[in-house]
Amino acid sequence: MTYYLVVFVSGLAGSFHCIGMCGGFACALGHDPRGPGATTLRHLLYNFGRLTTYCFLGALAGALGQVICTRQGATVTLLGGSLNVAEQILATLAGLLMIVMALQFFGVLQAFHRLTIGFGSSTFAISLRSLLTTPNRAAPLAFGVFNGFLPCPLVYAFAAEAVSTGQALPGFLTMASFGLGTFPAMLIMGGVGRVLAPAWRQRGVWLAGSCILLLGLITLGRGILPFGAHIAHGWPGGHPA
Amino acid sequence: MTAPGDMICSHCLLPLGQRPMQRKANGENCAFCCYGCCIAFQVKNGTSEEWEAAWLLIRLGVGGFLSMNIMLFSLLFYTDTFNGPDARLIPWIQLLLWIFATPAVMILGGPFVRETWHDGLQGRLTSSALIVIGVGAAYLYSAVAVIERGPHVYFDTATMVLMLFTLGRLLEAAGRARAARDLEPLLAAERESVVVVHDGAEIRRRVREVEAGMLVRVRPGERIPIDGVVIDGESHADEAVITGESRLVTIGFGSAVIAGSINLDGPLLIQSGDAGTATRWAQICRSVREALSRPSPSHRLADRAVGIAVPLVLILGVLTVLYWAQWLSFDRALLIGLAVLVVACPCAVGLAAPLATSLGIGRLARCGCLVRDPAALETLARTRLLAFDKTGTLTEGRARVVDIESDGVGTSEVLARAAGLERHSEHGFASAITAAAMTRDIEPVVARDIRIVPGRGIEGNVGGERVAAGNGALMGDLGWSLAPTLHERGRSLEASGYSVIYVGWGDQVHGVLSLDDALLAEARSTINALRDRGLHVILLTGDLEGAAQRVAVAAGIDDVQAALSPEAKRAALKRRRMRYDAVAMVGDGLNDGPVLADADVGIAVGSATDLARETAAIVLPAGGLFMLPWVIDVARAVRANILTNLVWAFGYNLVALTLATLGLLQPILAAAVMAGSSILVVLNSLRLERLPDPVSAPIAKPPSDAETARAGIGVPVALGPAIERA
Repeated sequence: MTYYLVVFVSGLAGSFHCIGMCGGFACALGHDPRGPGATTLRHLLYNFGRLTTYCFLGALAGALGQVICTRQGATVTLLGGSLNVAEQILATLAGLLMIVMALQFFGVLQAFHRLTIGFGSSTFAISLRSLLTTPNRAAPLAFGVFNGFLPCPLVYAFAAEAVSTGQALPGFLTMASFGLGTFPAMLIMGGVGRVLAPAWRQRGVWLAGSCILLLGLITLGRGILPFGAHIAHGWPGGHPA
Repeated sequence: MTAPGDMICSHCLLPLGQRPMQRKANGENCAFCCYGCCIAFQVKNGTSEEWEAAWLLIRLGVGGFLSMNIMLFSLLFYTDTFNGPDARLIPWIQLLLWIFATPAVMILGGPFVRETWHDGLQGRLTSSALIVIGVGAAYLYSAVAVIERGPHVYFDTATMVLMLFTLGRLLEAAGRARAARDLEPLLAAERESVVVVHDGAEIRRRVREVEAGMLVRVRPGERIPIDGVVIDGESHADEAVITGESRLVTIGFGSAVIAGSINLDGPLLIQSGDAGTATRWAQICRSVREALSRPSPSHRLADRAVGIAVPLVLILGVLTVLYWAQWLSFDRALLIGLAVLVVACPCAVGLAAPLATSLGIGRLARCGCLVRDPAALETLARTRLLAFDKTGTLTEGRARVVDIESDGVGTSEVLARAAGLERHSEHGFASAITAAAMTRDIEPVVARDIRIVPGRGIEGNVGGERVAAGNGALMGDLGWSLAPTLHERGRSLEASGYSVIYVGWGDQVHGVLSLDDALLAEARSTINALRDRGLHVILLTGDLEGAAQRVAVAAGIDDVQAALSPEAKRAALKRRRMRYDAVAMVGDGLNDGPVLADADVGIAVGSATDLARETAAIVLPAGGLFMLPWVIDVARAVRANILTNLVWAFGYNLVALTLATLGLLQPILAAAVMAGSSILVVLNSLRLERLPDPVSAPIAKPPSDAETARAGIGVPVALGPAIERA
């Protein structure tokens, strides 16, 4: 449980990063002329759409990890090894990726940052603007779904983590915790419609970076330390590895 | 009602299929070739007022929301999350999936069902029918399975296949639109709006509403929409699209500007010289639009192949299900059948030809080369014989003075008198003679009482003395004596194809001017470049043998047929066709219209005729002879691209189909690779965008006139350098 809590906190803190981009969308969704209830519904739908995409990506990533692990695991058993090598490799890669992403939040590796969000995200965003202004009630949901696919280092980091869990359910839960973590900030953005003070945003981004760095180090440790599995099981409530 | 100009898709500018989708977007009626283009267009251009634009996106988004939820639960399901005590949840989860799947199938499958229905009403089966049948079967089976508490449901497969196909079509349409970007300015010519200044007020008008005499304001960076004269402002213009040459032209007060050129740096006020629809630019645009709406031969072939393939695939799908049903459970067999239907969807095949052709046409049009028929581009690529007309194609089409002989008086005196007379004439030779005088800084004498003798020449009075310039007949009529050397010289020059003008005064002929049509500076390098491309080059001309030989030698052509009537030219082309399969004829479009029309590919260079009445399939701009090798490169690249596209699309389909029939390909995977194949075809075609620009090949030093003459008839040339092209 603690594990998911850390992921949730990362999402919560990381959403200060989201405000930079997705927060703009949330603001743009704005108020519904039909009243505060409709406005809340609008933003809930938007965030729910986003969450769905994250969950889907998480489950997909987890299932992918599972496929890799089971397939490779079989050969390892044949070789007589008791450790699942594929799982370790996966954990190492995911851990490294998370650390790289985390470092970006501290302003390191900016070139990589451009690479990760540079995949035509602005074109994508411009394409979606028509969704922001339609009165249709389902539009925020659709917008949220697309929004979830927007290139974002946070999402990449947790998708990598989801792959390393090596099962669909924990992968899904990882991304779901992360997504839920981003809810409050995004809802506040939509409701308040006021950008938080830059200083606070910066602190949030650092906190998120620290959380992701911690998670990345643990994941990496699972991969390369000889008794990595113990670390994983060290999570109270059990880590789904 | 559909205007003839609207026969191409508003988004990707490819020819519309037999049943276009009609939509209203941005206040204009739009027609789309496919569902993907419809979505992509609205994604790109939709404004907040266009409710429908957003509705399509919402449809995609909500469809995505539902199918992702289905996929999510199915993934958990497949990865054995609901084992053991959780197994009692399974029927409820299946029910939940059904609840999600029903709206998803309706939302995403709707357009496919409509397409199938409309095509079915016309008695045709298209690829959307395959999707509808496959997905419908999977959905119905799963619904029955939920009711009967069956072990397996396949809602995820049904919705994901639909989702991937919709997404694939959207991406494909986005790629096609990128390809169409080149063509957009061409097609928008008459629809573009311009600022018309009227009584000091500025009004926005469409180009087609501009009439002669109106004042039009053009800002820097904008395209000049009309032919006219600058009455205020200074700037530079890029006339590449009309002249083919990308160079800057300085324009200022009084400069003539051509519609289609780009105003680069300063605001201009232009007085329109002609109606907005009458410019060459507008004609080019109309012509490109027409060409695009015409399917090329390989396009038709591919369409026919698709028409045959769909029923076959359907039968194959049914047979696959029946076969596998003997060995596997029915639901497994059904899935294999679905994979067959999905993977055999021949979308990429239908896309292979038109995309490459449009890209090629757009690429050429941007440099002022006009393709009036897509078929011509494909034929040109496999042509191995190029026949040239001489006058106006390899030569300037204008005479110039190459030699002056006299009986002892100075050549400048002969020229001064001839020019004095000829500046009052409008004959083609007259301008050549006055130009010759001007280049040599010879002041023409002042002549009075000018009289033009039709078919003979011109005579007048210089300082009380009678002066005449004209052919031998004129001199004979006047009864003027002609020195035997001059007479002989004139005869031999005439025999070898030169035009000869005798100049006389004081009852005697004093000089002979010989005129010839000069070879274009770039002719030789162009012919060489064509030969490097493995083409056989011949010269077919109606001119005399001598003149033809001279030009052929200078241009480097070995195979010459001279003194041909237009009928004889056509016959000569026909004979060559036996050996070379496809033959192309290059002419100036003025004198050889019928021959150009008769060749497999007619190419007109610098045609002055009205484009609408043009008979050539490909029209190069004036002075565009140097672009010919490049045009052939583009045509070959387009043809190679179409071939690789087709080989790829067919090959891919066959391999994937085999795998699917053997049950080795999951339906979702099949849908993904299918969408991928269309995108790969688009990407492959987009490589055509990177074709280099035509370069005016380094012009080989034009052979001097001495060489030309010697090579031709062995006549020594009296004068120095020939008069350069103005």
